[in-house]
Formats: sequence, C-alpha cells, structure tokens
Amino acid sequence: MANPAEIRELPAIGEPLLLVEGLSKRYGETLAVNDVSLRIPRGSIYGFLGPNGAGKTTTIRCLMDIILPDQGTMLLAGVALDRRRRDRIGYLPEERGLYRKMTCQDQLAYLAQLKGVPRRESQQRAWRWLERLELGSYAKSKVDNLSKGMQQKLQFAATFIFEPDLVILDEVFSGLDPLNIELMRDLILEQKQKGTTILFSTHMLAEAERLCDAVCLIEGGIKILDGSLAEVRAAFPFQMVRAVYRDGREPPADLPGVVDRRQDDGTWRFELAPGVDAQNMLAPLAAAGPLSLFAANRPTLNEIFLTAVRRQRESRTSDRSER
Amino acid sequence: MSKVLTVIRKEYLERVRSKAFLVGTLLGPLFMALLVIGPTALGNLTRSQERTVAVLDLSGEVFEPLAEVLRKNEDNHVKLRRHETGPQAAAGVEELKARVLAKDVDAGLVIGADFFAQPQLTFYNTAVSAVVLRDETLRPALNEVLREERFQRAGVPADQREYILARSEWTTLQLSAAAEAAQSADVGIIAAITMVMIIYIMVLLYGQQNLTVVIEEKSSRMVEVLLSSLRPEQLLVGKVVGIGLAALTQVAIWTLAGFLVSVQGVAVAGAEISLTVFSPWLWLNFLVFFVMGYFLYASLYAGIGAMCNSVQDAQQFSMVLTMGMVIPILLMMVVIRAPDQPMATILSLVPFFSPILMFMRVTVSDPPIWQVVLSWLLLALTIWWANKAAGKLFRAGILLYGSSPTWKSLARALSR
Repeated sequence: MANPAEIRELPAIGEPLLLVEGLSKRYGETLAVNDVSLRIPRGSIYGFLGPNGAGKTTTIRCLMDIILPDQGTMLLAGVALDRRRRDRIGYLPEERGLYRKMTCQDQLAYLAQLKGVPRRESQQRAWRWLERLELGSYAKSKVDNLSKGMQQKLQFAATFIFEPDLVILDEVFSGLDPLNIELMRDLILEQKQKGTTILFSTHMLAEAERLCDAVCLIEGGIKILDGSLAEVRAAFPFQMVRAVYRDGREPPADLPGVVDRRQDDGTWRFELAPGVDAQNMLAPLAAAGPLSLFAANRPTLNEIFLTAVRRQRESRTSDRSER
Repeated sequence: MSKVLTVIRKEYLERVRSKAFLVGTLLGPLFMALLVIGPTALGNLTRSQERTVAVLDLSGEVFEPLAEVLRKNEDNHVKLRRHETGPQAAAGVEELKARVLAKDVDAGLVIGADFFAQPQLTFYNTAVSAVVLRDETLRPALNEVLREERFQRAGVPADQREYILARSEWTTLQLSAAAEAAQSADVGIIAAITMVMIIYIMVLLYGQQNLTVVIEEKSSRMVEVLLSSLRPEQLLVGKVVGIGLAALTQVAIWTLAGFLVSVQGVAVAGAEISLTVFSPWLWLNFLVFFVMGYFLYASLYAGIGAMCNSVQDAQQFSMVLTMGMVIPILLMMVVIRAPDQPMATILSLVPFFSPILMFMRVTVSDPPIWQVVLSWLLLALTIWWANKAAGKLFRAGILLYGSSPTWKSLARALSR
C-alpha cells in the first residue's frame, strides 16, 4: 500500500493542483481534443467551457482513464495520474444515474467504497451526507421512490463523499429546474469553502461567470483562451454597446470604432475596438432614429468567447493565406 | 483488488437477499424433479385416456379371450367393440376402415381367420399415437391369448406354464475404481441427468444474468460513474464472480439438503436415491465443470451485454452463445449410449460442450483420467481467452450508446 500522506500532499492554495500538458485524442478522422493544456489552481472553481461537442467530455474522460489519450501528460499535485491518484478525484458525469433498486444509504456507501473508503466508515459517511441533504428519512428507501431533485442531491453526495481533492462536474446543471440549480450552486460553493478544487465543465457560460474563479474556453478541440476571470477580462479590454430602435430599424452601417456587430432579438450589439469610448457611439446612433435602449458595459464571458473564436478563425485564415 | 471485492460483495448480497433467490432455492428441486421424472409421470397420465378399438374377428375365437385378458390386466382404458360382418370378409374390412376414418372408433383391428395357426393381425389407425396403444396394450394381450391357446393345444400342464415362460433376472451395479460403493445403474442415470440438468440450468440462468445486469447498468447510466472508480476489467470480474457465488450458494444449499434427505432415504421412480454413494471424484467434477462452465459463459454474456443497449439488441448474439449449451443436451443420448466411443470422446473435449458432455461421461462411465484433466485444461484455456475477449468487448462497448451493434462491430472490437 502507498503511503497515504504521499498522495495527500497538496500544493498551496492557488498553486496548480492539476496540470495537463499537450493532451490530444483522435476518433478516426476527427481530432476531438487537440493539444490542450490546463492549469487548475488548488482551491478554485475552474470553468471548463465551450459549446457542445467542443471536446470537454473527451478531455475529462481522458483524465479519469475512461478513454486513453493519444498524447499528453496529466499530473495531480505534481505526480503523474494513476489509478490510485484518481481515487482522489470525484467525477459527476453528464450521463449519470443511480441503481434504482438499491437503498440510498447503501448506494452512497457502495460508491464511497469503490473510491477506497473502508466499509464501516462508508456507511457512517453516507448517513451523515443524507442527513445534511435532508434525505435522512429516505436512507432505507430505494432510489426509485425519490423525486428527480432528490436523486440529483444523492448523485452530488456520491461525488463528494470520499472527500476528494479535485471534483469534476460535467454539465451538472443540465436538466435541473431553477430551484435545484440554486441548491447545487450552494453545495458547490460550500465544498469550495472547504478547500475542494472543482473543475466545472459546462456550455452555459452565464452560469460559469457567476461561479468560476478561472476559466478555459475550448472550441473544436482547441483551447481558445484560459486564465483567471480577471486575466481573461484584461485580455479583452473592449466595451460592448447594446442599442434598440423604437421602430426596429437598422443602425447606420458606418459606425466608427465598431469591430463587430450582431443582431439578437431586435437588440443590436456592437463590439468596440480596444480603447474606443462607448460614449462616442451615442450621438451617431441617436442621429439615425429614436432609441428605446442604449447601454454600454464590459463584455460578458459569452461575448468574450464569441470574439475569441472569431479572432482565432481570422488568424487561422490569415496564416493560410500567408502560406 | 479491494475494489473487485466490493463489487463481488454487492452483486452477491443483492442476489442472495432477493426474493427471487429464496423462491428459486425452494422451487428449484421441485422443478428439477419435474424435469427428470415428469415425462414418465406425464406419460402414465396420458395413457389412461380411453380409446375405442373396433375388432373384426374373422376367426371368431379371439375376441372373448382378448377381452378377458384386458379385464384381468385391469386395462380399462381400451374399449373393444366387436365389428359384426356378413359372410363377405373383404366387405367387412372396408366397413371397418370407413369407421376408423370417420373417427367413429380410434383404431381398427382385423384378426386373421386362422389366428392360432397363423397369428396375423392388421391394425388400422389415423393418429400415429395409436402405435403406443398397439405396442403397450394390444400386442402383449394378444400374445398372451395366443400363448394360452397354444399351451392348451400342446397339452402343457398348467403348473408347467410359468416355468416355461421364465425370464432372466438382472441386477445391474456400476463399479468404478474410485468408488467403493456400487450403485444401481438406473439410479446412476437418473442422478447423472439431474446433475447435468443442474449444470445446464444454472449456467444459463446465472450466466445470462450477467448480460441483463450489464445492460441495466448501461441503461441506468451508472457505468461512467463506476468506470471513474475502477477499470472495466475489474468491474467485469467483480460482476461475474459475485453472481457466480450466488449460483454456487444455491447449488450448495440443494446439495446439503440432498445429503440430509439421503440420510432418511428417498425413493424416486421406484429406485432408492442416495447422494452418499457418489464418489469424491464425481463431486469434484461436478464442482469443476459447474464453476468453469459458468465462468466461460458468464464472461461472454457480460461482454455481449456491454456491446448492447437493450436485451432485444443482445438476443441475436446471446442466442448463438446459448446454443453452446443446448447442443450438448441434444447430444446427451449419443454419450449415454456409447460414452467411450471416439465420437463421445471428441465431443466431450470441445470446451463449450465439456461442462455437459464430459461430466455426463464421468457419471455414466469411467473415462480415463487424462481425458478428464485434458478437458479441464482446454476449458481453462478457453476461459482465459473468453475473459480477454469479454474485456475487449467491455472496453469497446460499455460507453457506446445509441447504435445497436452488428456482427461486424463485434468482430472489430475483438480484433482490437
């Protein structure tokens, strides 16, 4: 048996807990993950973001040794990931379920034992978790008798019951009603307070923006950008202007300082070039017709993502034309 | 290793604690008994259906004695009806045939004019099943009529007749070097068939559970959580062993109960059956073939389950595997009739057949030990291969959702 202390020796808060270098995975012709590197600081909630099919789940499955990567190194607390160290990682997959005929307590205890918690202790921990999630009276009932929300709490408990150092949550909010999303968010923040590092994978960028300390955006298997939320914002120092005309007309075509414009449900969004003051936009927009809305703000994560993807594509095309 | 033990423990307890296990343990022997002695008992039941036979007695001397013999034998499920006819015999036969065809009677019997000199009979029937009536009831009765009349004509005294009709009396005892006690061969066959049936039913029943359990785990979306905690091979082994231990527990309970009952002594189908007469060699083979047969089939069933998303999907593949158990049952008679002929020897060495056929040979005959051990080795090798194959299928299939597998995708997964 390995010395447990050796496994539990963790870096200081803020230092990288999980390091991924040059991870690649190919399925036939498609490169699902293309040379992705990640640096996940201990004690943070790290948003792993991108649209559906970006390669998030494939990356995570490589981390959990469910599929084999073609290339890349993965280090947890500076040591290459192996089966024993993976027992320190909790994983709540997007495709998640429970044994329907098993009692809640046995279920939690079983999943804890599979992560190396001794049998007797696993039962005690299962009981404590059920109490905490107000499921104590269901300890001996079968999962079949639980509502969907309760089942989700149970799955959540199963992910944390063995006190992992790192937890990977894949699309944890999908299929949840707003009340349960709120509950999950509280639980996640509570675990973060306890020092657990959380890799939070989602395509809902607005959610990530509310929760995460640092993010990584991937698209088409390629990392677009990463860093702390503040760093990411600093790297995209432009402003966004939103405008709505009362009669729904189009804004003038030749607005100064606009890099990109999009229309979305009658609202026009203008991405300004870095350093352009949003105030300069008001006069030309108002001159064209009566405005019912004018707003200037810093970009949302979603807007940063769209911009970053656009820039990436532009640089790739220009690379090609240079060649 | 401790993770595999955790899976084993869960699968085992889940089964042993279920109601189905309790019911199966209690009803299993009953079912087994029905399977072994049922057909005979059922046969006895159906024979007592009443059948009518129209008899055209051209000699005019046979009908009465025949009816008398049947009465004496208390064979009251055959009703004889005398078929009256005019002086034209041929016309009478035609009438009789018409009655049989019209289902007025179940069968027709024409007794020759000079029966006691030339005992010629013609039997008319529409259903093939009437031959049972002919062979088991009418023929012995008419033989007796014929004998009695000829004894009479030859002037054999009544007290000599039994003496002349004497039959040889047989006692059959099966001897083997390993077993000290000799047992009746009839009992041997019944016991052998029972034990073979236990292997057959338990391997299929519990083997196929691996398939359904894996599919359930896939459809309940449990696998990905499990695979983040342990390797697919560990999951596979844990399941197969856990379910197998439950099967073994059930058989152990039956065997123990059998021993307890044996001490009291039970008679099945008129023969005393006692488990205590079986040699340790036979018990060892029972255990080995049961356990190895289970492992071979269970791991392949689990592998198939991993590739499929529903039991219906799996059917076309699992059916082929099930054939491996069904074919030897069909070949069982070949082995019982000639257990040491090359045909039986070769068939019993085929790993997929040997749990049934080699064990059958061990019970009904005494095959050379090297052959038995060779079949163990071949079986062990095949299990090793099956485990590797199942592991590959597991890795390839366990996270596949949506598309149903084809033979091609199965072959591709295996060749990886």
